[in-house]
Amino acid sequence: MKILTTVKKVVDVELNIHIENGAIVEDGLQYVINAWDENAVEAAVVLKENNGAQTTLVSIGGEDNTDMIRKCYAMGIENAILIDEPSLAGADSFVYARVLQKVYETGDYDLVIAGKQAQDTDNGQTGIILSKYLDLPCVSNVISMEVMDETHIKVSRLGDGGIEIVELALPAVVTVSDSINEPRLPAMRGIMMAKKKKIEIMDLAKLGTSLDEVGGAKSQIVEFMKSKTRQGGQKFEGDAAEITTRVVDLLANEAKVFI
Amino acid sequence: MDFDLTKEQEMIRKEVRKFAQKEIAPIASELDEKEEFSETLTRKMGEIGLFGIFVSEQYEGQAMDYISYIIAVEEIARIDGSQAATIAAGNSLGIGPIYYFGTREQKEKYLPKLCSGEGLWGFGLTEPTAGSDAGGSKTTAVLDANEWVINGSKIFITNAACDLSMGVTVQAITGTRDNGKPEYSCILVESDTPGFKAIPMHKKMMWRASNTAELYFDDVRVPKSNILGKKGDGFHQMLSTLDGGRLSIGAMGLGGAQGAYDLALQYAKERQQFNQPISKFQAIAFKLADSAMEIECARNLLYKACWLKNNKRPYEKEAAMGKLYCSEVMGRVTNHAVQIHGGYGLMKEYNVERFYRDQKLLDIGEGTSEIQRLVISRYIGC
Repeated sequence: MKILTTVKKVVDVELNIHIENGAIVEDGLQYVINAWDENAVEAAVVLKENNGAQTTLVSIGGEDNTDMIRKCYAMGIENAILIDEPSLAGADSFVYARVLQKVYETGDYDLVIAGKQAQDTDNGQTGIILSKYLDLPCVSNVISMEVMDETHIKVSRLGDGGIEIVELALPAVVTVSDSINEPRLPAMRGIMMAKKKKIEIMDLAKLGTSLDEVGGAKSQIVEFMKSKTRQGGQKFEGDAAEITTRVVDLLANEAKVFI
Repeated sequence: MDFDLTKEQEMIRKEVRKFAQKEIAPIASELDEKEEFSETLTRKMGEIGLFGIFVSEQYEGQAMDYISYIIAVEEIARIDGSQAATIAAGNSLGIGPIYYFGTREQKEKYLPKLCSGEGLWGFGLTEPTAGSDAGGSKTTAVLDANEWVINGSKIFITNAACDLSMGVTVQAITGTRDNGKPEYSCILVESDTPGFKAIPMHKKMMWRASNTAELYFDDVRVPKSNILGKKGDGFHQMLSTLDGGRLSIGAMGLGGAQGAYDLALQYAKERQQFNQPISKFQAIAFKLADSAMEIECARNLLYKACWLKNNKRPYEKEAAMGKLYCSEVMGRVTNHAVQIHGGYGLMKEYNVERFYRDQKLLDIGEGTSEIQRLVISRYIGC
């Protein structure tokens, strides 16, 4: 089984992000591997260990994506492709999915594992659009995965009201939830072995396509705004009966929690 | 001059830090309180490759350089001195002598298990009556046909008396040199050898979650081939092992200082007195500023010593300086950190108290501060 895992480098949203004039201030930003993609990498490595799957990772971005790729190597991924194409700056999910489609078509892959969303944009679209472009079945929000035979896998997906068990014919696309596994920390030896591994760097031309073919972005971020910060709470002191009356009044008339 | 770490060294810092925060931080206090060595945690440290860090892949080591090793110890010590002790002793004292002086057969027999963390190995040097005066040790090994017969005892030996302990390297008198002084050799003794007894030592002030042993050798017989290197090389092997070991003890001082400083800085920013955070008072802020400066100096000195070793240059003087300075910096920083915490710093709920206790060993173990000053003074020509 050949697995293609998609990995995105994202801004570390746990750090403070500053916005000026509708744009994110790049200074001082730190980047990390998208958390859900780390789950996708772990899922792929588990299939390699338990079922002898071959694992390839693809990432779109510049040379600074290589640190993240080496971490994935250290976790156990065997091959990596970096699509280094500056003209893709400003691309949206449709464009990324089209590029990933081209990558998929260069190999003889049986399964695409993607994170269900990225923590920077929270769009959750790329994996699903990719399955549409490839005309492959897709299961999203996957929380467990097992190989049935050479051509079928069984996955569980978390739905609104419960868990769905889905048997899936390969090739297929799955997007995974962060509850599918706990990504391993790379072992020391893995880190050293990762140093020696080559990353296949490609641009659109090498991929046999062009910016015209993958198309322009269908959507564009026009402005970033800070979300409202949580207001501080109110503290009440004094007589218990008076406080109770006051709190009930506020809950009823200001917060309007009693309907 | 290039002060940048390599990408791999940076990744090691990040990943070991994550490991220490996730796996060690939640249980460090409890293990310390119960004075409990955790086999499970040791195995986990083995799984991510914290043993055999500088050992080549041939013997299933991690094939890393000395700076990487020291960063790993530093990051563990930033959270817990006991676990850092298990790692530092496991690598420098357990694995080191076998890797550097052992025969191919000895390495193949022991290193893969020691490098995976499935087994631990002790280094038996200190004796009840021979601490800084290592030349005063009394344990003997006499050759009887094809076997060494060992008699004597050792004390304060890390990693030697737990279920993972596979054996010890014991330094023993094996004859008399031409100048009339004792001749020392190092000999490998497996834990299940008849006559060998390893007893865990308890009621320690510090490193309470690490394993410390007293060793007894009562007519212990091991094959002649268990000698490490050549007969009579024991003293040189011991000195060389301690040179490398000093770097890892230095790393424990550096990491411990960083950990205590982090706690103190965070506390000082949160603790309000006289309507402002105490970090705004110069009496507190200057303690933190001094700590930050000394940690920076300690790190530069220790990394330089490691860089010298990596580049196969003489590093013994800098190793002694690094061990001494990092240990004493941790002493000053933990003292400040407890002071900044006030009354809470004296309570076990606040980890800073554990750092304060764990520091004291660093002034004493693997060559006291006085011995380090002696070593340095000899190197500078006194």
